[in-house]
Amino acid sequence: MAAFTLWWQMHAWRTPEVLASTRFSRPDGDEHLSFSLLLPARHEQAVLDHTIQRLLESTHADFEIIVIVGHDDPETTEVARAAAERDQRVRVVVDTHEKKNKPKAMNTALPHCRGDVVGVFDAEDQVHPELLAHVDHAFRTTEADVVQGGVQLINFHSSWYSLRNCLEYFFWFRSRLHLHAQKGFIPLGGNTVFVRTDVLREADGWDPNCLAEDCDLGVRLSSVGKKVVVAYDSDMVTREETPGSLMSLLKQRTRWNQGFLQVYRKKDWKQLPGFRQRLLARYTLMTPFLQAFSGVIIPVNAAIALFLDVPVGVAFITFLPLVTAAVTFVFEVVGLHDFGKQYGLRVRLVHYAKLVVGGPFYQVLLAGAAIRAVWREQRGRNDWELTTHVGAHLTAAEPIREDVPA
Amino acid sequence: MTSTLPAVTTPKVPAQRRPAPEARSTGRTRPPERLRSSRSDLLLCGLLLAAILVVQGWHIADYPTLSDDEGTYLAQAWAVQQGKGLAHYTYWYDHPPLGWVQIALLTWIPSAISPGSMTVGSMRIAMLVISGISAVLVYVLGRRLSLPRWAAGLGMALFGLSPLAVVLQREIFLDNIAVMWLLLAFCLAASPSRHLWHHFGAGLAAAAGVLTKETMLVVLPALFVTMWRHSHRDTRKFALTGAVTACALIGFSYPLFALLKGELLPGSGHVSLWDGVKYQMSRPGSGFILDTSSGSYGVLHSWLYYDRVLPLGGLAGALLLIVTWRWSVTARALAGPALAVAILAAVAMRPNGYLPAMYIIGALPFLALVLAGGAASVAHAVVRRRRAEGEKRYVTGGRYALAAVLALAAGAYVVPHWYDGDRTALTADANKPYRQASHWLSTKVADPKGTRVLVDDALWLDLVHAGYRPGLGAIWFYKADLDPAVTKTMPHGWRDIDYVVASPTVRRDAKDLPNVKAAIQHSEPVATFGTGPDRIEIRQIQTAAAGGAR
Repeated sequence: MAAFTLWWQMHAWRTPEVLASTRFSRPDGDEHLSFSLLLPARHEQAVLDHTIQRLLESTHADFEIIVIVGHDDPETTEVARAAAERDQRVRVVVDTHEKKNKPKAMNTALPHCRGDVVGVFDAEDQVHPELLAHVDHAFRTTEADVVQGGVQLINFHSSWYSLRNCLEYFFWFRSRLHLHAQKGFIPLGGNTVFVRTDVLREADGWDPNCLAEDCDLGVRLSSVGKKVVVAYDSDMVTREETPGSLMSLLKQRTRWNQGFLQVYRKKDWKQLPGFRQRLLARYTLMTPFLQAFSGVIIPVNAAIALFLDVPVGVAFITFLPLVTAAVTFVFEVVGLHDFGKQYGLRVRLVHYAKLVVGGPFYQVLLAGAAIRAVWREQRGRNDWELTTHVGAHLTAAEPIREDVPA
Repeated sequence: MTSTLPAVTTPKVPAQRRPAPEARSTGRTRPPERLRSSRSDLLLCGLLLAAILVVQGWHIADYPTLSDDEGTYLAQAWAVQQGKGLAHYTYWYDHPPLGWVQIALLTWIPSAISPGSMTVGSMRIAMLVISGISAVLVYVLGRRLSLPRWAAGLGMALFGLSPLAVVLQREIFLDNIAVMWLLLAFCLAASPSRHLWHHFGAGLAAAAGVLTKETMLVVLPALFVTMWRHSHRDTRKFALTGAVTACALIGFSYPLFALLKGELLPGSGHVSLWDGVKYQMSRPGSGFILDTSSGSYGVLHSWLYYDRVLPLGGLAGALLLIVTWRWSVTARALAGPALAVAILAAVAMRPNGYLPAMYIIGALPFLALVLAGGAASVAHAVVRRRRAEGEKRYVTGGRYALAAVLALAAGAYVVPHWYDGDRTALTADANKPYRQASHWLSTKVADPKGTRVLVDDALWLDLVHAGYRPGLGAIWFYKADLDPAVTKTMPHGWRDIDYVVASPTVRRDAKDLPNVKAAIQHSEPVATFGTGPDRIEIRQIQTAAAGGAR
């Protein structure tokens, strides 16, 4: 199981050709599509304006920004309205649902979309100005229904878990998602995802009751054979931040895990045509739980082999998972180096040390989130625990722009 | 160190957008994407393989003389097959056990069909499989290192048909198996698709090679260089780390195995990996290789006796490639093998290192490739260098004539020598005394079960099949002095033994082994096979003098 994960995790680096194919191809300067960018924001007045400003700097000629705010959230609404007054490309849609979550908000906005393509961003995202041009080109050249761009956590220096969290994103968007796209089963990411508007409307938008609406949408679209293209360029990724505290990371992870469970139980993936695709789907959706399990079992195994009196052969076998884990570890270290190189960040020795030492603890965290997710799902609690953002990545990636309200 | 040089096989642009091959001034054949689909490659490789198998396989049991080491490894393989652990005497970490575990697997089916065939002579046939695979790998590696077809074929022929190679590759030596793994590792490292998992596999294969015969460790830097040159800049980081990790992790399984058995560190009452390594590191040196009075010189001489072309020509080829590094594409492509030759030569030149006779086995494929590469380099220089578009016809003719003369001269020197050497290998019968001794011991001794014989390792399995008790009935002669578990059963020393089979090895080593020496002194030959220093005597212990103490 660890070997599978490893195999897929390293997908993009298998050969230089594969690596080259994971990148956006250079846009030809032609722009035909129009975009509607959804920007759901909730209690995010601190970062929202900056995000909108940056989106408006896009080089693409034809797009609108639809900020979705809650009717019970006056501060954010105010920021959004102010932005809308400044620039006519910005519109505000108010979500009046009693219980709020991201899929409901986006479904509210969907009828208002005028573009050919709907794009989703989060309120704290840093979007590259040329991203839309690249996506436009990708849609036209590949005839895709969905384009997933890269998302990257950047503030790896904030804490030991953010380091691991960043690296997880790196491997996921840099490598693993491409494999999923190739195999025709893909759980989409939460943002920097672009879907043709008609395809999205046909699919009835997002599932308002699912905690991982992004994953669910990807599964539903790939199950009916829509073409998904993934492209990753370190210049072009959307930069994000890790959750601000361990607890919020745990909550976020619990939500994802629970969402994966829900998607698994919805059984949309059973419509996938190929047996291997179904197997991949089953496996992917179960991954958080298998991962948690193996994280706990590996140290126990090694301890058994070393301290209990078992035959040498058996003891040897118990060490096998440890070997794959060790290989994964080493690749993670190399991945961190590559990550630092690609983003021009200085990765110090202490970060490598943190990465290695933090590994087991992160496993415990993942296991905790997995157990918590199962427990919450059992109890039928599926309310939306939102991750709060403090804007750490903004200072991390570049100096704060003057026009950003503190 | 090679990263700054323009790599010949790694275009800097990803293959997707790879430009059309540059103007083909070199005129050499590019290795096809898949060798398997190239008919001429298959044909050449197949023909050479057939020739090698015939030359190496014909009368494989009769020549060269059975070696003690062959007996050791095969007996331990037999012990593995019998489920007696890693050796029928206590396994003491002399070598990692993977080598004879593989021999056990290779000989599993024939020995299951006919248990009596599990003797050194008849099981040499298993080595034919190893030699065949290795020879093909040499060809593949040659092609992957962008040698022209004829040069890759030349390398394969040098590797498989040199009389020295024929003699050594026929024998059941761990080195031969380790070489196969190393060649596999090199082939994977030079994989044209530069696949991450190929490089990972190269690491695994290299580890298997090292665990088969630990001396392969010294070749790993050359493997690393090959991998470096053949990986792409963008993925190199992952490819190399992956390979090193794979190699290290598998390599660590050996100490881990010792640790799990509680035999990692020395302690009273058990063997340990530490002691095993210490023994191997402190083996008495055999002197400087160029000092005519040293043992190492004797070993060198024994190699050159069989063939001068491959060892000396290979060294010269390596030198040529290293010198022409700056100008020659071939030299850069063959950096890995050339470095391997250089390292192995440097290790052999240690002032007072231990140089076993099979040491050169590890160098053979690299010598062959480097020599073939040197030949390709020279051929290229003669035929193509500074050749302008409108060169006069007679100049071109002269070039080809010169090439032909060189080829003929080389052939005229090599072919007669090799013909003689290989004819000896095909026709000589060096092991008749062994077979006769084996026959005598199986037919003339009344009660094999109750008889105790000191015998060298090469004959040991014959006796086991004849009904002698393995271990304490049929005894590896040196165990009578060195293994406490055996000496314990001989309270009266030589008086507890019935026969000594004094083969050349036994007579040579007896001077350091008191029990064996005494047994030879207190015995009379009852049968002698062969003559001179190669004779085998079966000596019966004369217990009359001891007053029938037994």
